[in-house]
Amino acid sequence: MSTILECHDLTKKFGSKVAVSAINLKLERGQIIGLLGPNGSGKSTIMKLANELLTPTSGSILIGGMKPGIETKKIVSYLPEKTYLNDWMRVHQIIELFSDFYADFKPEKAYDMLKSLNINPDDKLKTMSKGTKEKVQLILVMSREAELYLLDEPIGGVDPAARDYILQTILHNYNENATVIISTHLISDIENILDFVVFINQGQVVLTSSVDDIRDEKGKSVDVLFREVFKC
Amino acid sequence: MLSKLLKYEFKATGRIFLPLFLALLIFAGITRLFSAIGPEQWDTPAVISMIIYVTIMAGMFVMTLIMMIQRFYKNLLSDEGYLMHTLPVKPWKHIVSKLLVSMLWMIISLSAALISSLIIALKKGDLSEIIGDFAIFFHRAIEQYGASIYLLTFEIIISILISIASGILIVYASIALGHLSNRHKMLASFGAFIVLSTLSQILLTLIGLIPGTTNFANLHITPDNFAQMQSLLQWAIVSGIIFTGLLSSAYFAITNIILSKRLNLE
Repeated sequence: MSTILECHDLTKKFGSKVAVSAINLKLERGQIIGLLGPNGSGKSTIMKLANELLTPTSGSILIGGMKPGIETKKIVSYLPEKTYLNDWMRVHQIIELFSDFYADFKPEKAYDMLKSLNINPDDKLKTMSKGTKEKVQLILVMSREAELYLLDEPIGGVDPAARDYILQTILHNYNENATVIISTHLISDIENILDFVVFINQGQVVLTSSVDDIRDEKGKSVDVLFREVFKC
Repeated sequence: MLSKLLKYEFKATGRIFLPLFLALLIFAGITRLFSAIGPEQWDTPAVISMIIYVTIMAGMFVMTLIMMIQRFYKNLLSDEGYLMHTLPVKPWKHIVSKLLVSMLWMIISLSAALISSLIIALKKGDLSEIIGDFAIFFHRAIEQYGASIYLLTFEIIISILISIASGILIVYASIALGHLSNRHKMLASFGAFIVLSTLSQILLTLIGLIPGTTNFANLHITPDNFAQMQSLLQWAIVSGIIFTGLLSSAYFAITNIILSKRLNLE
């Protein structure tokens, strides 16, 4: 297995506030990884750093051995926590935009998923509900054949029925060499699909482990362990 | 990738501007028709359509300013920035694509204003007369001052273009600087704009103080001394182009550094 994402003393400060504090991390390819932690623990900051939306204060983050830039953006498919869709396009137009800019985007995949979620490609993004927008975004992100998927709270805003579909979508839409990193605090919902977990709290990595090890050695579910580690 | 960015920028803005231009031309036509019916009296329909025409024209110019600011801020620095900045495209290409499309709309707006006013005011035969007069004027100018008139025309066009560009880039740089502030980004952008324009003004004054540079503000050009003043005038335009060009590059550099190194989307 080779490394897809590594952090060396990665630190990000906002003024005097430390969001990510000297994180060292190595994540291998071909897994579904849960980046788990309470609100404000630094999950989103790490994902933004990996996408060059933020620049590290010190230390470095590497994706496939490269610093975030044009080359990493070609292989990373990122779902931010925000709705980034503009208000003037129709769904099929944003699909064209993705096809134009990402060589690994598969429009037919996107149209298939839209159909199964009953979303009309001719609908305007403006008139959609927040949940539907989130579904469209996830479809766009998962229709790429990327090497690394970074999904920031992918199931936070959608209903439980759609949640299952989305998790199935994530499971079925990445090949075995690709890596999926999901950040969330809704652990019980995604526990079953995870191979590996990273617990993070107050900008620091608290625990890294494979899910099997947690179950076998500690005899606990990830959810229970999370509640123990982050007990208030 | 730049051409693709330009394509989407054009689509995003064209859906606003093209209907505006069309409306402007249509109301210019309607005003023309009404005033053609009763050229002597200002009857109500003619006045109404004239008012609508002027309103659309004002709206069009306000819209070029709003779109310039909004496309930059909303598309690159608000939530939409999450998409734009994760596309595999260098930040400077985003800036260039927005700059070029903004410039294009400003120039087209000016042309639309000119054409529509011609539609209203032109009488039969006027157009050929104007073109004829212009040709004679140009011919005489070339006869008197030689081919340097071409150069002068070219320089004037370049200086207009670069002035528009610098006007847009100072706004981009101000918005980007305002974005660095954690709170009151709008207010900070406004402040940055005042600081940047004051600095540029001071710089211009300082350059004027350097011995040997002529104070171009005191140039008096009349038809009589045009020949002798011509080389001086040309020098003034060229140095204006250079100065504005340097300022624009500075604004561009500020914007680019912030977008690539200091980005901090909400």
